[in-house]
Amino acid sequence: MNWKHKDLLDLDKLTAEEIKHILKTAAPMKEILARPNKKLPTLRGKSVVMLFYENSTRTRTSFETAAKILGADTSNIAVAQSSVSKGETLLDTAKTLQAMKVDLVVIRHGSSGAAEFLADELSAGVINGGDGQHAHPTQALLDFFTMQERLGELQGKKIVIVGDVLHSRVVRSNVLGLKKLGAEIVLVGPPTLLPSEMNYLGVKTSYDLDKELPGADAVMALRLQLERQQSGLFPSIREYSRLYGLSQERLRQTGKDTIIMHPGPMNRGVEITSDLADSVQSVIEEQVTNGVAIRMALIYLLIGGTGSVVD
Amino acid sequence: MLWIKNAYVIDPAQRLSGINDVLVKDGVIVKSAGSLQPADVLEALEAQRLDDVLQVEGEGKYLFPGLIDVHVHLREPGQEEKEDIRSGSRAAIKGGFTSILAMANTTPIVDNRALTEFVRLQGERAAMAKVYPIAAVTKGFLGKELVEMMDILDGGAVAFSDDGKGIQNAEMMRLALEYAKLAGCPIISHCEDDSLAGHGVMRKGEMSARLGLRGIPASAESVMVARDVLLTAETGGKLHIAHVSTKESVQIIREAKKMGVDVTAEVNPHHLIFTDQDVILTDASYKVNPPLPSAEDQIALLEGLLDGTIDMLATDHAPHTWEEKTRPFAEAPFGINALETVLAAVWQNLVLKGKITPDQVIALWSLNPARRFGLPGGTLRPGSQADLVLFDPEYREMISAETMETKSQNTPFLGQEMQGFPVMTIVGGKIRMAGRKLLDNKEEA
Repeated sequence: MNWKHKDLLDLDKLTAEEIKHILKTAAPMKEILARPNKKLPTLRGKSVVMLFYENSTRTRTSFETAAKILGADTSNIAVAQSSVSKGETLLDTAKTLQAMKVDLVVIRHGSSGAAEFLADELSAGVINGGDGQHAHPTQALLDFFTMQERLGELQGKKIVIVGDVLHSRVVRSNVLGLKKLGAEIVLVGPPTLLPSEMNYLGVKTSYDLDKELPGADAVMALRLQLERQQSGLFPSIREYSRLYGLSQERLRQTGKDTIIMHPGPMNRGVEITSDLADSVQSVIEEQVTNGVAIRMALIYLLIGGTGSVVD
Repeated sequence: MLWIKNAYVIDPAQRLSGINDVLVKDGVIVKSAGSLQPADVLEALEAQRLDDVLQVEGEGKYLFPGLIDVHVHLREPGQEEKEDIRSGSRAAIKGGFTSILAMANTTPIVDNRALTEFVRLQGERAAMAKVYPIAAVTKGFLGKELVEMMDILDGGAVAFSDDGKGIQNAEMMRLALEYAKLAGCPIISHCEDDSLAGHGVMRKGEMSARLGLRGIPASAESVMVARDVLLTAETGGKLHIAHVSTKESVQIIREAKKMGVDVTAEVNPHHLIFTDQDVILTDASYKVNPPLPSAEDQIALLEGLLDGTIDMLATDHAPHTWEEKTRPFAEAPFGINALETVLAAVWQNLVLKGKITPDQVIALWSLNPARRFGLPGGTLRPGSQADLVLFDPEYREMISAETMETKSQNTPFLGQEMQGFPVMTIVGGKIRMAGRKLLDNKEEA
């Protein structure tokens, strides 16, 4: 398949075939990750800029590792030390990056639409590393990759996603993609974190986790911002954990060898008990590894050439 | 002296709607009647020769009283880079507005007589549209102390409003309505409960969820509309509700009017033309406060406008610099610049689509505002001020930064060709715009 997109902003513009192509490309990337010498010359001479307006050491390091393995040069614009904190607008930053002739920009930003805004201004490729509450496509893709490794084809598989659906960009991108891949999705959370407008996603929503668990092939817990309790979105961590926290005991209700996922970082004992997070059912660490593979695949597809990357 | 011939004249105050001639002398309307002969004209104008009378051919065009916009932000003093009183009043003339009411949320806030007089005088110096100041209700918009309403009234204010901010303290609003009875003019309420609106940037609903933008629930407005209506009923004050945008608000106002509460309301054309479905994530031109409504709200707003629940149209002209609006949606300020595009927008989207008649538009945008705020104009009745607009429904214009008089570019219509523009605007008998060009020479009619 010839890759035709300049940017990866969300999964809505990708076809199921294109998503599968990314996952397929990630498989050999993962093999490279397992090699003792993890360095390819493929993207030698290409420059990738990490433009992170929000702190995210995990995502940034994952992208940086991916780019470096492929041989690209990476640089970081960490907002705290840059002109951005001196009042430079995103538009000016875009113009500066354009002038530096960079090949690819990975942006993480607190405002929805910031990645698209940047992509409109740059001739370089843009990967959305998370924008506001809007989208987080690379996280979704690494989730699909992980599920597919464990569960096989996702068509018809039941995926339960539980937690703060309202504020989660991970959910939005996951649902968009999983629907294209034919999975059955159930979103679960308290009404204040799963308000009726989330019905736009066109999937089943529920307030009752125990009712939805039977038959689930994968259960994904979302990270809970603990400060949401102060905003009155739920009464206490204790009650949240009682109603929506994942535990070994609760998971038995699925009646299957269900896999447990979490985008990280986890609040152990809140969204998930420690023993479950560290159990054989958990693929949370695998998700991190697969994150690098998926990002290698994307960087390669967006700025790489054709032909086989592994040879 | 001016003789406007064969125009389709609309004057709801006189129930005039048809081809007529209009005569102007010494800044006032002398006559509006069916086709006049030169002899009638000379007699009515008490003129000797026809050469002394400027004749304007109005065939194929509408002639109506100048539009009065009760909700405009001119940004002077303090934020002249966005707009100043001169550029704003020029934009008004270009758009067919002969009178505009300037909101008080400038820097500093217009909360005393000196600043009120400054705004009025700057309007007079610009000599374009008439500029009427609206002063703050509370000092510094802090919601704690009332302004000196009577002194400010002497300085030229025609109403009071903390617009841009809802008065959160209900007791303060009650006192304002009570005290303003002295002044006899309405308190204009920006109905927005801060605790409900939070840090939202568009209407809360499926579209805000889809775009991942924080939502403002409809209740942020309607809860306060209900509160203010109840306070007005209790105090017997006068209330005008700015920029109504939800179906619940319309319903509350409808009930209040039935109960005899002295309440009027306005709606912004952008709330009648766009819905939250039109919001584009990378275009902050669609970011307004109150936010663009749901489709259901929009239907209720139009119904309310047609059945008299909502009394007038108003632009909420809110200019911002290009730099401020060229930011990610959540970070850009709220507001659409409207004065120059709004009539064409209403014409294309509401009149030509048969949702509202030209006569209704004029009643809503000229007669009703004049009556509610006690302003001259609003009619072509002989003896009244000659504030007039000649409107060409066929005239087309490309909207661009170069053609606009406003300093701002924050309109969703930028780069679009629109249809239906004023081709002549007359204020107090003086032609301020002709052939889409502003005239600074104060030519006498």
